[in-house]
Amino acid sequence: MAPSPARFPVRERGGPVTAAVEAPRRRRTELGLVLLVGLLTVGALTLASLGKVGQPPAGLLGLAGVMVVLLLAAHLAVRKLAPAADPVILPVALLLNGLGYTMITRLNSNLAALQATWTAVGVAAFVGTLLVVRRARDLERYRYTFLAVGLILLLLPLLPGLGRNINGARIWIRLGPIGFQPAELAKIVLAIFFASYLVERRELLADRIRVGPLRLPRPRLRILLPLLAAWGVSIVVMVAERDLGSSLLFFGLFIGLLWLATGQAAYLLGGGVLFALASVGAYKAFNHVQTRVETWLDPWSTAQGKGYQIVQSMFAFGSGGVTGTGLALGSPQRIPAAATDFIFAAIGEELGLLGTTAVLIAFVLLIGSGLRIALRTEHPFEKLLAAGLTLVLGLQAFIIIGGITRVVPLTGITLPFVSYGGSSLVANFILIALLLRISDQHSQASPDRSR
Amino acid sequence: MNVQIRRLGIALLVLFGLLFAQLNNLQLRQAGHLSNDPRNTRAIVVDFSRERGRILAADGTVLADSVPTDDTLKRQRRYPEGPLYSPVLGFFSFNFGSDGVERQFSPELAGRKVTINSLDDLLSATPRTNDVTLTIQPAVQKAAADALGNRRGAVVAVDPRSGALLAMVSFPTFDPNPLAGHDLKAVQKAWNAYQADPAKPMLPRAYRERYSPGSTFKLVTASAAIGSRPDLVAKSYPQLKALNLKGTSRDLSNFGGETCGGTLPDLLRISCNTGFGQLGIDLGGPALRDEALSFGWNERPPLDLPAPAASSFPDLAGLRTEPQLATSAIGQLDVSATPLQMALVSCAVANGGTIMEPHVLSRVTDVQGQVVRTAQPRAWKQPMTAQDAASLKDLMVGVVQRGTATRAAVPGVQVAAKTGTAQTTGNNAHAWLTAFAPADAPRVAVSVIVESQPGVSEATGGTIAAPVAQAVLKAALAQPPTPG
Repeated sequence: MAPSPARFPVRERGGPVTAAVEAPRRRRTELGLVLLVGLLTVGALTLASLGKVGQPPAGLLGLAGVMVVLLLAAHLAVRKLAPAADPVILPVALLLNGLGYTMITRLNSNLAALQATWTAVGVAAFVGTLLVVRRARDLERYRYTFLAVGLILLLLPLLPGLGRNINGARIWIRLGPIGFQPAELAKIVLAIFFASYLVERRELLADRIRVGPLRLPRPRLRILLPLLAAWGVSIVVMVAERDLGSSLLFFGLFIGLLWLATGQAAYLLGGGVLFALASVGAYKAFNHVQTRVETWLDPWSTAQGKGYQIVQSMFAFGSGGVTGTGLALGSPQRIPAAATDFIFAAIGEELGLLGTTAVLIAFVLLIGSGLRIALRTEHPFEKLLAAGLTLVLGLQAFIIIGGITRVVPLTGITLPFVSYGGSSLVANFILIALLLRISDQHSQASPDRSR
Repeated sequence: MNVQIRRLGIALLVLFGLLFAQLNNLQLRQAGHLSNDPRNTRAIVVDFSRERGRILAADGTVLADSVPTDDTLKRQRRYPEGPLYSPVLGFFSFNFGSDGVERQFSPELAGRKVTINSLDDLLSATPRTNDVTLTIQPAVQKAAADALGNRRGAVVAVDPRSGALLAMVSFPTFDPNPLAGHDLKAVQKAWNAYQADPAKPMLPRAYRERYSPGSTFKLVTASAAIGSRPDLVAKSYPQLKALNLKGTSRDLSNFGGETCGGTLPDLLRISCNTGFGQLGIDLGGPALRDEALSFGWNERPPLDLPAPAASSFPDLAGLRTEPQLATSAIGQLDVSATPLQMALVSCAVANGGTIMEPHVLSRVTDVQGQVVRTAQPRAWKQPMTAQDAASLKDLMVGVVQRGTATRAAVPGVQVAAKTGTAQTTGNNAHAWLTAFAPADAPRVAVSVIVESQPGVSEATGGTIAAPVAQAVLKAALAQPPTPG
């Protein structure tokens, strides 16, 4: 464990607590929580198996063993590589992962085996990220590499021979036996680029002129161009790949970061206008967008047709009620895509309002921890990156949960850590590894101010 | 930047607050509504895997029961009588939900509706399924099905004193057994075959299909005259072949070009179109419409089965001209009625002017055989005074003795009836009959429709539908008198 390089005067309540003292405490907290997650997941898997076939899962001990190894591997990696990092993020992510895995096991055992493998790959990616990225600010140097990689990842599915159309969306690539949704990784890579690009230019971007009573950003081509470019890429993703969810996510991320960096509400306004324009255009031009809006406003009139999926989702939530039917005792398999985009509805049916509320709280905890890291970090790039990564995570969860509960029109996208999907799991494990890396640095750089 | 980060936190918190609010809306406020939606078959899964009570006929014949199986759904629903009772029972399907008694009384059958009588009821975990006993009499049901045979149509038999249904038949019909299977592909196949059949075997015609009632509706028109216009009852209508109507070149003619006329008893006896057409014009739109509504038209009958259809009568805008009034008065144009409704018209005449709520439930009993609930007879409509009902009954007796419904006569019993012939397309007509017996102390009212019979004459209802009604009346009168 590296000793903290600098000691600043302690400014906060709680007495003179230094990173050297605080770090082991944080890790003990994390270890306790991680073990609790293991216990909860094994318990949930046992209940699901009892509900499904009336007996505990075959090879329960082996399963529990593998799970403990994975959980401890992640925890020990943090202990070794980021000892002063936030203790809540990893356990909460693993809890969501375990809950999702339980639901997937209950829905489709073939997918469950794959998801277990992907979880292992995800944890490996998590450890790998902590190993490779020793200081988050070093990422800033490679910003244009990240831009290029991000754009390539985003547009890769459009390449003939590589891209695959699945369920009407062209967001997959296939290399040999392995399918991948590159957009999931692109969101992280682009968050890094946006953060570094905007941090460097934020003075410029914050430069304002007076227009009558209003103070607006000075309209410079150099500012407008990236804005329009981000918009353009989002539109390409929406039109060519038919991936409304990712399109919305990227645009939301870019506009959010622009506003975070400059504090200029005018960017939110401008982004909103561009978003509205693109939405209206898409609604007019594409049937599948119209369908999404129609089934959002009224799924009931086409309950056996276009509205089937969303209606089944409504039924799942309603039938679950407050306490749910119990694991493996409901019928969430009736919802198309129950293991992926609609997994939250499956949770709603079998674990009820209590279960869905727990998931919401888990995401709020992740968001809270992520933003706290952003607040505590002094380095502007890392600050913006932490906020951007948190925004991506929160926005993605909102877009899909809101979509299947009819708060917003449905745009297919995975629920981070919970949904079945290798790309999504790996990407989100990398995302929290970056957050933990930033958290570790600032805690080591300055005495922790949180308890 | 920290200001924005805090604001971002608040914004995300607001978004998740919205999600939380919507989840409460879906899982708490609307939960009952969503889980009971007929398109949501989830409750069926639960019901399929647990015990389910039996459905019994009035005499204890088992119409539906559940037996244990080895597969994952644990219990198999059986209908020992096959298709005979399906217009009443409906079906109980894993894939397609349920209908009929299986749907209406599912909470009782599945034991989801439990009356708590003691602490023990609260604490014991054994499922308490209930048996549902119906008012349907197997002998009457069989007689009705046999008499209708392989002709499309429906038969309804009701005890006019209580509203209890004694028989309800619809043809073509379906066998609920294949739909209750556990091989979901086979169930799907059976379902698809029934759905694809243009004859609509899964439609319980008796209470969910509306037909043009034709001349059976003349009972309602006659009731309007008897109730409020003694002058029209006494009026002698001219002998005509066709009634000349203002505002149209098409006259209203009698079937087969017959000439008829006279006073109300004669008009009803031989079902005179020209006479009743003029009577409708004399009564006027409001009187005619009020009468139909007082018999239950434009209202769902309070039948204890899912989604009974309302019979319909046009509003005043559709009763302005002479052609509209005259054709509506003889049950054509926009007038429609379910077979159940036409049975209820006879019930009104038979029961001193009062229509009782039609029902199929006799009682619900628990596993120990204790009666949990008994159906109570309740009055629904009172379209006539007892005196006017008696007058109309005499006219209906005349229809059987010397009119169009002679074939509905049962030896040794006085039968009251009215025939109907409702022209459909081309040279086809629905044959109708509604009747009750015995005329002096009625125990059964019946309505029969046989769809799309060749030949359009006033005799159609009398020749085709009357023998069916006669068979049903005979069977019902042979039953030992039962209260309720």
